[in-house]
Amino acid sequence: MSTHSRAAARFVADAARTAWHDGALWTVRAKRDRMAQSVPEWEALRAASSAIKRHTLSHLGHYLELFERNASANGMQVHWAADADEMNRIVGEIVAAHGGRNLIKSKSMLSEECGLTPYLLARGVDAVESDLGERIMQLLHRPPSHIVLPAIAVKREEVGELFERVWHTAAGNSDPAYLTHEARRHLRGKFLGADIAMTGVNFAIAEAGAFAVCTNEGNADLGTSFPDLHIAIMGLEKVIPDYRALAVFTRLLARSATGQPVTTYTSLYRRPAAGKQIHVVIVDNGRTESLANEAHRNMLKCLRCGACMNTCPVYRRSGGATYSYFIPGPLGINLGMLRSPERYHGNVSACSLCYSCSEVCPAKIDLGEQIYAWRQELDGEGLADARKKLAVKAMNFAMRAPGRFYGAIALGRFAGRLPHGVLNNRLNPWYGSGRDMPRFAPRTFDALWKAGLVRKACGTSDDSNPEKHRQTP
Amino acid sequence: MKVGLFIPCYINAVYPEVGEASYRLLASLGLDVDYPTGQTCCGQPMANAGFERDARPLAERMERLFAAYDYVVGPSASCVVFVKEGYPRLLDGYREHACIDARIYEICEFVHDVVRPAKLGACFPHKVSLHNSCHGVRKLGLSTPGELNVPYRSKLRDLLEMVDGVEVCEPSRRDECCGFGGMFSAEENAVSIRMGRDKLRDHLATGAEYITGADSSCLMHMQGIIDHDRLPIRTLHIVQILASNL
Amino acid sequence: MTTKERILRRIADARMPAEAYPAFDFTPQRFEDRTAEFIRQTEAAGGRAVLADGAPLDELIRQLYPDARRIASRLAEVKSATIDPDATDDARTLCDVDLGVVEGLLAVAENGAVWIRQNIRHKALYFGATALLIVVPREAVVDTMLDAVGHPAFADADFDYGCFMSGPSKTADIEQALVFGAHGPISTTVVLR
Repeated sequence: MSTHSRAAARFVADAARTAWHDGALWTVRAKRDRMAQSVPEWEALRAASSAIKRHTLSHLGHYLELFERNASANGMQVHWAADADEMNRIVGEIVAAHGGRNLIKSKSMLSEECGLTPYLLARGVDAVESDLGERIMQLLHRPPSHIVLPAIAVKREEVGELFERVWHTAAGNSDPAYLTHEARRHLRGKFLGADIAMTGVNFAIAEAGAFAVCTNEGNADLGTSFPDLHIAIMGLEKVIPDYRALAVFTRLLARSATGQPVTTYTSLYRRPAAGKQIHVVIVDNGRTESLANEAHRNMLKCLRCGACMNTCPVYRRSGGATYSYFIPGPLGINLGMLRSPERYHGNVSACSLCYSCSEVCPAKIDLGEQIYAWRQELDGEGLADARKKLAVKAMNFAMRAPGRFYGAIALGRFAGRLPHGVLNNRLNPWYGSGRDMPRFAPRTFDALWKAGLVRKACGTSDDSNPEKHRQTP
Repeated sequence: MKVGLFIPCYINAVYPEVGEASYRLLASLGLDVDYPTGQTCCGQPMANAGFERDARPLAERMERLFAAYDYVVGPSASCVVFVKEGYPRLLDGYREHACIDARIYEICEFVHDVVRPAKLGACFPHKVSLHNSCHGVRKLGLSTPGELNVPYRSKLRDLLEMVDGVEVCEPSRRDECCGFGGMFSAEENAVSIRMGRDKLRDHLATGAEYITGADSSCLMHMQGIIDHDRLPIRTLHIVQILASNL
Repeated sequence: MTTKERILRRIADARMPAEAYPAFDFTPQRFEDRTAEFIRQTEAAGGRAVLADGAPLDELIRQLYPDARRIASRLAEVKSATIDPDATDDARTLCDVDLGVVEGLLAVAENGAVWIRQNIRHKALYFGATALLIVVPREAVVDTMLDAVGHPAFADADFDYGCFMSGPSKTADIEQALVFGAHGPISTTVVLR
């Protein structure tokens, strides 16, 4: 059993919550489908998006330098970080040089990836998440379970209890509108008192030396409205050539993510306002290694829309917390394996190979195919599950010789005559929590054919007229 | 035109009637159909579990068994997909010798695209819910994936429309996975069974008597849950409908 | 070697074969009535868009936001403005004004977004105001984002900060229930004129 399958069994045990989680995310997927259907050139846009990303990745050094040059000319300060430690250190130094300990953050997966918030908290910087979902997770001391909908696995009653505890909201009131407006009220104080703003970067436009941040809440924009220091952190794959590319991606991003035609705010930061500073930290942290990995470099095309999670039938029924990597779903399975197969191969089982993720991806990343490819690589790395390997070896042994195969079926047929409970119990992984074993037929097709029974039943030898039903071309 | 019938392992062992119906359907269309005996497995279960390379002897076996046929036709979309996609990776000099992938068809695809009959002569006066299996939809194009913005087409529907009396409906989540997934069904059995239950609820909501599709593996998984939960619906491979009363 | 040099070296070592910038082989969506589509999409995004037939802005403001007392605007014709947002040194004072009246340069039909190029001192007004009224030239409605970035009002401009804004601030982070006014304006109105 993989780490994911063990955790998922616990999630699924709560049938009502599983149904809710699946239903809520399926609704998002359905909204995404309606959006895709409403844009006639949708598939051409996906193809363009994929090709622009491929082009950019193949000229990555050029575009990063171009971005740096133009952003610097615009008055931003650009930093480079090889890994999480260096990024955290750079951010820490910028914060220390500026002074102040109230930092207002908007959502950034890179920050999660690098453990930036704990790093800052440990240094006395009060880093406050301002996206409502992220704030809920921060107050719950739990990691986000979805990259776009961080609190999707948290029920309104839990949020109500949480807010009651930390903000003394009305007892027992779990109305989302009430709770959201209470959060707005309490976070206003954090916004107004912030010394430093931090955001992620959705797209860094090389030609313009500007970067785009996309939110629905406006928290990034409000956060950067007061402090005179704005630190933006970006994975180096976030660079894109120009505004035309930005237009392609913004046409796809929110439609894919939440089924909106665009995020409420698509903000472009191009030049710091007079007397203010913008620092951009470009972070590698394993991305150049992924770039060198021909079989899996496609992962760097990701726009972080989360559509692959919303469509994944396994993710919808197991929740983000069941994956051992901080990003769940098809995206997280792949990124985890790129990060460390040793640590994260326990997620590779979380895929029924339905390939829906590959079809929804706005950058046409072959997510499902890559999961299949990772499975093939596990054995070579000595990470294949021993029980599974044994089962496959046994199956393979039987299948190589018809005698053994048909002998095994005869054995199975005998086992099928045993009392129901002997086979259908929890020790049998097929039975699991309620799936009866199939029964072998009295005779295999092979045996029927050899006995001439298939042809005889059809009476095909004499009455068939080859042209009887054929359509004339 | 010589057609070699490709009968996947679990159909051979569990659903021989699907093999019989396949033969009956193709023979009724006037085709010269043969079954090379001694077939075992194409290797898909091992490959999906992460042991594709181990399937190589099976791929070589399949090549030998089907060398003499113009077409290789099987009643299982996912097995056909594996042969088409996986064998080129497994067999040396694959492109040079008589390769299967240009000749292999899932049976509905074959009847729809190659044989193109004007009529079938089958009759099945029942309401059926179409099970659009993942590999059939997204890898073989038996119907248009729900994710894409391209005009909807379904080869399975086209064929069923030629059957007298049948009423065809589809679950609300048209091509959501049922949770079989080969080794996935055992390794992630809790999620797999949950997916199956959800899919069955969706099929049941159509009011159909039968769930039908081009992949016996999905049907076998769902039938296991139907049996356990004693649900008022049955699974039936689509060839059994296309060949009914023939 | 600096970190930058090291990263660039690793990128070069990855030796990804060069791929060309794609030629776009499609025409972006075209709407029969762009203005009508813009209004429809704005409403879908939770906002409101109105065509002003020569009515003075003050009259519209009275009609649409009759309860607004603290009104901030730099637009000369907004006589009902009570606050000059550029007069303050502290952007914080612009939080919780009842209404901000600002300019937008483009309206995008496909998604109800308005391109706002910051031309006031503090962008805080765009996000801190409880309601926002955005005035956009009615001839500046384009079909899609691709048309927007190619439009002179976007492409030729020099700016510090700009934002495509579509409807009011919103969140669905609690059980996917849509709530307006997560952090920014609770209400937005686009006036096309």
